[in-house]
Amino acid sequence: MTDQTLTELAAAIAARKVSALEATEACLARVAKLDPRLRAFITLDGDGARARARALDAELAAGRRRGPLHGVPLAHKDLCHIPGLPTSCGTRTPEYFTSEVECTAVARLHAAGAITLGKLNMTELALGPFGDNPHHGDVDNPWKTGHVSGGSSSGSGAAVAAGLAFGALGSDTGGSIRLPAACCGIVGLKPTYGRVSRAGAMALSWSLDHLGPMTRSVRDATLMLEVIAGHDPHDATSSRRPVGALSARLDAPIRGLRLALPENYYFEGVTAEARGAVEAAARTLESLGARVETLRLPDPAALIDVAGLLARAESSTIHARIARERAHELGDAVRARLEIGFHISAHDYLQAGRLRARLTREFIDEVFGQVDAVLTPTIPEPPPVRAEVTAPPVDDIVRRMGRFSRLTRPFNTLGVPVLAVPAGFTRDGLPLGLSIAGRPFDEATVLRLGHAWEQAGDWRARRPLV
Amino acid sequence: MTEQRAWQNPPRHVQVDVAALAGAVERMAGDLALAEEPSGFAVALEAGAPRD
Repeated sequence: MTDQTLTELAAAIAARKVSALEATEACLARVAKLDPRLRAFITLDGDGARARARALDAELAAGRRRGPLHGVPLAHKDLCHIPGLPTSCGTRTPEYFTSEVECTAVARLHAAGAITLGKLNMTELALGPFGDNPHHGDVDNPWKTGHVSGGSSSGSGAAVAAGLAFGALGSDTGGSIRLPAACCGIVGLKPTYGRVSRAGAMALSWSLDHLGPMTRSVRDATLMLEVIAGHDPHDATSSRRPVGALSARLDAPIRGLRLALPENYYFEGVTAEARGAVEAAARTLESLGARVETLRLPDPAALIDVAGLLARAESSTIHARIARERAHELGDAVRARLEIGFHISAHDYLQAGRLRARLTREFIDEVFGQVDAVLTPTIPEPPPVRAEVTAPPVDDIVRRMGRFSRLTRPFNTLGVPVLAVPAGFTRDGLPLGLSIAGRPFDEATVLRLGHAWEQAGDWRARRPLV
Repeated sequence: MTEQRAWQNPPRHVQVDVAALAGAVERMAGDLALAEEPSGFAVALEAGAPRD
């Protein structure tokens, strides 16, 4: 049962071919069997999930279906505030994060009938791309033990890939949805900034944070996005722009769409296999009627500098208390990254914000004036061996972090939607990733392209041999 | 309090990292229009959305 996609399971439950309780038990059995190796969960709420599943089954038997996710077991990154469950944010403090506001995205998933199995592991304070965690264990790659799961939404990536849950929420400040999606061979969507409410989720950088779905198919991600997107009075940065019926447009032809392969930056220092996977995807999309061209993109280094300054200033502000009072409880790399932010001046922070406005406007005009989407690798190399990239000294770890996330961070500055989809596998069986970036609030196009690529590929049926 | 002093007196490598970030931003920000504000980011996103 856990090989099914979220969409397939939801349809089976609606048709009463399978019950929510059976689906929940199947996931919990997977967790019991596989999580000792994967370490994807921080908090498992088996009893709560079973109780909710029974209630949802009773409602369905009485003719009431709450919504499109009725009875579907999900799990969420442990920075989403869910009443009744602790939120560690990957720290050793079980209730580090408290909030008056329930995570809006989770609340909307619940309202649509979803079940929460528990809270998923993550890099400490969401600061790091490898999925290691000194307090809750390093999340292992479902495809090959000892390799990184990607981060910071590491548990979300591993749990979904291994069939411990049918979908998950992740958050993305510099690639934290897309990197684990690529490393674990699943789909991850960083929506447009403001498309999904951030209310009730711990902020790392309120200017750069995005919440989004992580799933086993593009259709699943589309369904989850339709549920969680839209204006939220609890988040002043959430957009009032209508979401629209994204699922209904998923199968529309991609003929005539204009796609760009970057001439600069995004293929520099990328392994031949990672590059080849993206070029193969471009050829496939071209064969389906899209027009592919190469294009020089505005300087990504500028976008990375702006993101770095904003992220460090804001994360140090948000986590000032734990950094100052309990710094000894934080990992060395996390402490090192937080420390920088304490010394950024107000002048430099505000200049970075002003610069971001101009860079975003210029990028949208120059790039999306010519093409509908940009194709890039998500990760510059296959998921590396964890022991190698997390080996001290700390300065080297921070440098490796920067290199591994250098293809995703520019898009957090820009705020545009980016869909990370699997792009096949290396000869050694490790996943490779393709990213599709589109115009602001044009999730429909990136999802349509991702769906077309997914349907044309043969990798969708592959499951990790955990 | 020891920790607090440490944060207030950054070691050399932190000073270097901060200076590098700030320097990069300052070089690019030199010719920003006077009217440019951080909120222009959200305006750019809304203006760049497809018209449907």
